[in-house]
Amino acid sequence: MKPAIVKLILAREVRDQLRDRRTLFVIAVLPILLYPLLGISMYQLSQFMHVRPARVLVVGAERLEVSPPLIEEGRFSTLLFASSGSAKMLELHFPSTETAESERWDRARELVLAGEYEAALYFPADFSARLEAFRASLTSRVGPRPAGRASSPEVPQPELFYIETNEKSVLASQALDSVLQRWTDKIGEENLKAAGMSVRAPHPFAVKKIDVGGKTNRLGSRWAGILPVLMLLWAMTGAFYPAVDLCAGEKERGTLETLLSSPAGRGEIVLGKLLTIMIFSIATAVLNLLSVGATGWVVLSGLTGFGLPSPAALAVLAIALLPMAALFSALCLALAALARSTREGQYYLMPLLLLTLPLVILPMSPGVELNLGTSLIPVTGMSLVLRNTLLGDYLSVLQFAPVVAAVTLAVCMLAIRWAVEQFNRESVLFRESERFDLWIWLQRLFSDRRPTPNVAMTVFACMLILLLSFFLATLGGEPDNFAGLVRSVLTPQLAVFLLPTLLLTLLFTTSPRETLLLKLPAWFTVPAAALLAVVMHPLIVLLGALVEYVYPVSESLLPSLKNIQELINRSHFWPLVILIALAPAVCEELACRGFILSGFRHFKGKWRAIIYSALLFAVAHGFLQQSMLAFFNGLVIGYLAVQTGSILPCMVFHAMHNTLALANGRLTPQLFEQWPILNSFAVPGEQAGCLFTWPVVLGCAIIGALLLILFARHPCVCVRPPEEGLENRILCPADSF
Amino acid sequence: MIHVHELTKCFSDFRRGQIVALKGVIFHARPGEIFGLLGPNGAGKTTALRILGTVLRPSGGRVSINGFDVVADSAEVRRQIGFMSANTAVYDRMTGWEMVEYFGRLHGMQRDALAERMEMLFNRLKMNDTRDVLGAKMSTGMKQKVSVARAVVHDPPVLIFDEATSGLDVLVARALLETVAELRSQGKCIVYSTHIMREAEKLCDRIAILHRGSVLAEGTLEEVRRRHGEEDLEELFFQLIMEHDQRSLEEAFCR
Repeated sequence: MKPAIVKLILAREVRDQLRDRRTLFVIAVLPILLYPLLGISMYQLSQFMHVRPARVLVVGAERLEVSPPLIEEGRFSTLLFASSGSAKMLELHFPSTETAESERWDRARELVLAGEYEAALYFPADFSARLEAFRASLTSRVGPRPAGRASSPEVPQPELFYIETNEKSVLASQALDSVLQRWTDKIGEENLKAAGMSVRAPHPFAVKKIDVGGKTNRLGSRWAGILPVLMLLWAMTGAFYPAVDLCAGEKERGTLETLLSSPAGRGEIVLGKLLTIMIFSIATAVLNLLSVGATGWVVLSGLTGFGLPSPAALAVLAIALLPMAALFSALCLALAALARSTREGQYYLMPLLLLTLPLVILPMSPGVELNLGTSLIPVTGMSLVLRNTLLGDYLSVLQFAPVVAAVTLAVCMLAIRWAVEQFNRESVLFRESERFDLWIWLQRLFSDRRPTPNVAMTVFACMLILLLSFFLATLGGEPDNFAGLVRSVLTPQLAVFLLPTLLLTLLFTTSPRETLLLKLPAWFTVPAAALLAVVMHPLIVLLGALVEYVYPVSESLLPSLKNIQELINRSHFWPLVILIALAPAVCEELACRGFILSGFRHFKGKWRAIIYSALLFAVAHGFLQQSMLAFFNGLVIGYLAVQTGSILPCMVFHAMHNTLALANGRLTPQLFEQWPILNSFAVPGEQAGCLFTWPVVLGCAIIGALLLILFARHPCVCVRPPEEGLENRILCPADSF
Repeated sequence: MIHVHELTKCFSDFRRGQIVALKGVIFHARPGEIFGLLGPNGAGKTTALRILGTVLRPSGGRVSINGFDVVADSAEVRRQIGFMSANTAVYDRMTGWEMVEYFGRLHGMQRDALAERMEMLFNRLKMNDTRDVLGAKMSTGMKQKVSVARAVVHDPPVLIFDEATSGLDVLVARALLETVAELRSQGKCIVYSTHIMREAEKLCDRIAILHRGSVLAEGTLEEVRRRHGEEDLEELFFQLIMEHDQRSLEEAFCR
């Protein structure tokens, strides 16, 4: 890696982008003009926007003789509105008094339905008289009501006609509701006065609100919702357009080939381009923030007390922008490298936005706090750190910032690595336009069948498994007896894992034996796999506890999990072993370590295959906590599959692991009391299960490592996919990043 | 200087499946000679030249340039070559001067030496009119001159030209061929791919006729003519290709 070459590429790319009017527009002109223009436009629009008053028909108004009055001089009394302007927004109309009383109710309803009026208010004929009688009944009785005496006369309800599906009508009804509520309150006060009571009787006190947060907090809370989201979104947008031009554009113009044949290495080219994209990403985010900040400060400061965030918050924003810009730049670069043309590149923006947006917006949801769990989520963790910084909650920021920084850095490195990989792939750099033809694709699936599935078929199988498991999960109910448990376990095992795997293997491969690893392994691998599952159990239990501590199971899920656990504890052990240990060991292993792993070995060697198959294994497991453990187990079982070349050790490991988990669930505190020796190995859980002591965990970890070394030293002698060999042969150290 | 031995390249194509673009191609090119790579469209010329330019990696065989392997010593190979691709690709938002300077700097040339060399090149190639013109506003001829200058600015011992005259008018094409011939006289080892027989006859010292990834004939023009008993290169080319296609068809039929 020569810094001089990187600098040269960077300088060229920056100059090139600065000469591009489109890029300049998005990066500089748009942010400078957008927010002030938006502010001015909103102001201008508000000048032109004329809200028409709602037309309200009031039936029976002429008979209202109630104090305080509801209607004065053809309008609702101004005392019944928070502001005098609001009173003008209700335009009252009164029907002819000649209409017969029996028809007035129907007529009012019809007129609202016909759209003549937004709402209608109907006062029954005896409304005033009965309200007066009610008041009189109150004045004649002061003090507590004696038992057995008749209650106060009922007051008939006025009726409000509106149409729920008509927005104007709903707004008019809400305004009327508020007016009538105030009128009722006023009548109540008058009644209390008439009864000789204090008007404060129904509301003897009011709560005094005191904002104990300082000015920084007040300002911060206003910015906390806007700035992180804006910064992250613009950092991504600012990275995307230059990335498309620098990769897809260069491919389109044909200049990439010349650059690749120059002394600049792929790593240097990627780094030069990445730094360019980062500069533009940062510039876009900063200019947008400055513009929105200035506009907000100038336009809104007088109205709502907006001001600038604290310098410390601004400093954290600036620091956070660097890794986020690097992350988005690397993602955009890798995506843009996939595109054949700038037009195609622009299509990739939407999926990227759809994937990133939830992570950016998640911190805006109420109840999402910065903790260990959320700080481990890329983008979201950073967004929460920024939000808390703006809110002045520096303690939580200091606590979790290292975790967020580590996660961001790791994801950033992965994204950069992906981008470099794209530049090392000929199929990506020289991809030509290929019209997708379903018929040709299907023909090729049959004609190009190989002993093991190809990558496309493997991806299809993954999608099929995930879709089926999703639909079955939504259809399946909670089991309430053993038969229900059998159904709920076996149905997904057969329908999601076993049948699709067997079908795809028979249809699209020429050797089910090689695909599903149906071979006998070296004899020692089977007991070694069983022993590995045993010694890994304490580690898995510890990992499970850790996962549950970081990501506690949601309250909504707990009752259902508790019910299933109780059902399992009530059932006989050995039938459960067959159901929960053996059946998944066979079905899931044939799918994940058989078909999927064999297919992915055509992609990028054995390690990628192990990781991808473990990922599918994890995602196919119900909920997050279970998936995390499944991923870890998937990695180990995948390694066993690759090293032994047989599915048998994988099934043995899987079955043993599940059996031990079942057995652990049955260890109750009472059992520990009965068998005190157990206390020297493990600590009982609150209700069931146990955590192993540290010496046991460490001892098992050492034995587990030795067993893995044993598997590593005795790899199976089997045919490996040609891609694995080719990958090793053509690995070019000179071009490595 | 250039040794290509049993070069094989495979691609995966959506419609056609696995494609063997080059099948055991063998040729050698020496300093001070122009080696012509002749073949119809899709023969594998560009693929072969891209492998020489380290843009693509071979699936099999060995290629060395000036003693450096294109896979193991790709960085060193790139310093030894000047590569001019099939399209006259130039950066839209850079002037002719900036583009040539950029590639000179990538090759590690010092500013003074580079400026001197560029002055000489711009004068010799009569391209002073492109100095301050942005790539987007250049004519095809201008772009081609810039491409040549970019490929030779660091004075490499090996030059690779991929269909350098395609899309050029007669005047510009003639000027370009003169430049290539001049570079030969400077002792450069040149690989020049084309499907225009007249160009090959006029320019190349030795040729290889490539079709569907295989070399059908290789040697000096005289050797090839004598071996196949045909004086006219175009006729010879046509004849070889027809024979090869016929043979492939018969083999496929027998299978």
